[in-house]
Amino acid sequence: MLNTLPLLVVIANMQVVQPVIIKTSDLELEFTARTPNQMSSFYEARGFPKSMLNILKKHCYITAGITNMSDQKIWLDLSRWEFSSAGKPLKREHRDYWKKRWQDMDIPLNKQSTFRWTLIPEYLDYLPGEHEGGNLVLPFTNKPITLKATFATGENKQGKEIVITTDKLFCAEDEQ
Amino acid sequence: MKSLSGFIKLTTLTVIIFINTSVIAKEIDVKPPFGIRNHDIGIAPDFTLQDIDGETFTLNKSKGQWIFLHFWASWCGPCREEMPAIQRLADKIQGDKFNIVMINTAEDEDTIFEFLAAIDVDLNSLMDADGQVTEVWKPRGLPTTFLINPKGEIKYQAIGGREWDNPVYIQFIRTLIASED
Repeated sequence: MLNTLPLLVVIANMQVVQPVIIKTSDLELEFTARTPNQMSSFYEARGFPKSMLNILKKHCYITAGITNMSDQKIWLDLSRWEFSSAGKPLKREHRDYWKKRWQDMDIPLNKQSTFRWTLIPEYLDYLPGEHEGGNLVLPFTNKPITLKATFATGENKQGKEIVITTDKLFCAEDEQ
Repeated sequence: MKSLSGFIKLTTLTVIIFINTSVIAKEIDVKPPFGIRNHDIGIAPDFTLQDIDGETFTLNKSKGQWIFLHFWASWCGPCREEMPAIQRLADKIQGDKFNIVMINTAEDEDTIFEFLAAIDVDLNSLMDADGQVTEVWKPRGLPTTFLINPKGEIKYQAIGGREWDNPVYIQFIRTLIASED
């Protein structure tokens, strides 16, 4: 079924690192680390300018796929996702940060748009059975990453919150 | 006279109930199948774009037919998977009351042309070369499909890639078309 495939960032023919999969009765989350070279190759193939690639190569990419396995609405709100590494918070930049950064660099609009489409939405209501995903862009670290992700549930977010915690995330590195 | 008046009132009431029931029945009939959500957000934002043959398309000039508005990109895996099913949908539902309009997001003409040729579909696509029409429409992700009624109102949104030639979807679209007759 097509609807079981990740939507935003299933980048064709990209090498895949073994994903971290977290399943609960309500949610399935899949995290796949991408190396800087994998991501920059993808963007380079889309004609991204070198100035943009130089910045992108310095970051950590984790593709997240989220599936709502429940029979109620589940709300993704990235402001409620807390990343940390070695006991310190790891700040994920909001998509508005990237928008301003590319605008300040006069990056062509089509490249800005493609970049945005590869990011996971900041905020999204997942219908029962829905799967959506996209990239998380974090500062690079060679230490394990912990994530605590909180999701509201129910039509008006009145349901019981779902809290997912994992310390198994990591930044993929290119072989030297 | 009194009984005639009563009869007229009763008949009128019966007709009103019948009409209302018919309307309700029609609404129930067009309940979207799994993977399509009601998305009744009003008038569709207009746009004018060129396709890969250089022809211009303006959304507002397409009123009077259901528009299947599909956002896609060549790098998006589900878009690639879904495209042949859209072709089969186009083959199955023809006529002037249904129009499939594809919008490529932020890629160039060569990329679009090569992609469509490689997956062997006979579909044209509009080119949102700078991605700004897509920004206005804000699809949930790529691919995303909107169904716009003949009045130019957005009514439904399809979530992700769909097997559009599945009988459930074909029947749903046929019901939509028939409901506007």
